[in-house]
Amino acid sequence: MGEEEAKQAKQEEKEEKAKPKEKFKLSFDYFNESRLGILALIIGVLIAIFPGLPAFIKGIGIMIVFAWGADSVRKTARYGLGTGVPSIGVLALGFGIVGGITGIAVASMRFGTLEVLGGKVEIAFGVLAGVVLLALLGFVSGNLANGDKFINMKIPGLERGMTELGIAGTLAVLIETSIVAGTYDPARVLPNVINNGLIAAIFIISAFGMLQPYNTCLGADERRARTLLMSIEIGGIASIILGIATTLTLSAVQGVPLIVLGAVVWVVFYRAYMKACMDEAYATPGTGLIKTLGG
Amino acid sequence: MEPITVYLLVLVCIIIGGILSSLAVHLMPVGGAPAAMATATGIATGCVMLMTGAAVTGLFTASTVASFWVTNPNVILVALSGAVGSMLMMGFTMFVGNLIYIFGAGIVPCSGRVAVDPITKESQTEYKTPRTDGHGVPTVSFVSGILGGFSGGFGGALIYVMLVSDSYAHFSVATAGIVAMGIFIANAIIAAYNIGGTIEGFHDPKFKARIRTGLTCSLIVSALCGVIVVIAMLTGTLVGGVM
Repeated sequence: MGEEEAKQAKQEEKEEKAKPKEKFKLSFDYFNESRLGILALIIGVLIAIFPGLPAFIKGIGIMIVFAWGADSVRKTARYGLGTGVPSIGVLALGFGIVGGITGIAVASMRFGTLEVLGGKVEIAFGVLAGVVLLALLGFVSGNLANGDKFINMKIPGLERGMTELGIAGTLAVLIETSIVAGTYDPARVLPNVINNGLIAAIFIISAFGMLQPYNTCLGADERRARTLLMSIEIGGIASIILGIATTLTLSAVQGVPLIVLGAVVWVVFYRAYMKACMDEAYATPGTGLIKTLGG
Repeated sequence: MEPITVYLLVLVCIIIGGILSSLAVHLMPVGGAPAAMATATGIATGCVMLMTGAAVTGLFTASTVASFWVTNPNVILVALSGAVGSMLMMGFTMFVGNLIYIFGAGIVPCSGRVAVDPITKESQTEYKTPRTDGHGVPTVSFVSGILGGFSGGFGGALIYVMLVSDSYAHFSVATAGIVAMGIFIANAIIAAYNIGGTIEGFHDPKFKARIRTGLTCSLIVSALCGVIVVIAMLTGTLVGGVM
């Protein structure tokens, strides 16, 4: 009896060992919430203040900023907001539009943009004014929403989350504007980004990059790394859309690499996301409507 | 006008617009997910979606009316036209919603939070299915929603016309529209968090309990948004859009 029990226990242990659930290699373990935030803030600010960078580098920038925004949405929305996850993503971009336009206005002043190396490289410090102001606005609204004298939502870390969302929303709008216009000069930005209505597309794709991952994945078995895979995938889709816009406004030299980058990222991260879902699910019967990847 | 007066007027109008949009969200009959199964009073969506839809319609009518003037659009008329657009949108939404609730789901619109409709003075409790929180959009919620449409549309269009008018901020049409929408959304979402889910309208006990907090928060948020927009105006680089 004793031997058999031991055998059974061993077998059970083996079985437990034999089901490695989180197999996907691209892990966000090192980049915990704080590290991802700091990395995205540094990269986002660096890419935002150099509007002369090639578009596909800025494309990588928006993916990182989307991942940060999605992470902030995740950490605030998991306690239940009462109005659904999308509201906080849309809030981030409502802030982002106000901050982005203020940043562009300040950057286009005489002291807002520094030209170095004989006017070849522009450093638009002015956009940081929008980022800082929106960090302040996000912090204040986080305190209003969480403060016990005000709305009293009792969500741990909502102040920090809303501050991060204000910054991430502003950075997303700024970087996407600089992708399409190639500069922060209002003479180029107004006709190419704002007056033709592209700003509305920027608004909604950035909002989706931040709200959609957690909105889709939320539930008991939600896992952070899997959720963030989707935000990068949406960054790929955003890159394709912005690449088409850039080809029309700037040139194919800027636009086509961005489209290629977007397509590669989309395919790679879509596959990775689907794989992670299928590995971690108990069972996945296919409906036959969409061809499932190896499922 | 002195430049300082212009900046102050824009700031004050953004604050008024923000407070009106927050009030509008509190007046909406919002049912959320339960309303999709006709087990709660109101429209089956969140505050933000409902209010954004109404406000964007208001911005469309307001921008159309603002284009009737070559220079200096009349602020009150443009804001009122925005209010009319929003009211129409809210009215259609609630009316069609009610058609589906009544003829599709087969329920009687009734309030779940009050026993007697304050407008028609008709008793509500007999029509409420047990264990539900009301159904559809009853008269009082409909009136409340129309008032909310008026308030939200007026607020959004007021911000828009102050930003687009060449005697005030003089942004381009698209810049003014998207900034007005950004400020509106920030206020609407803070108000939606204040409501925390569902509300029936001004007769709901929740309205009385929470409206003061909501308006205070909206005052602070829209004052900050206004300061940020005034900073953008002070740079003077967005003046005179190309369009």
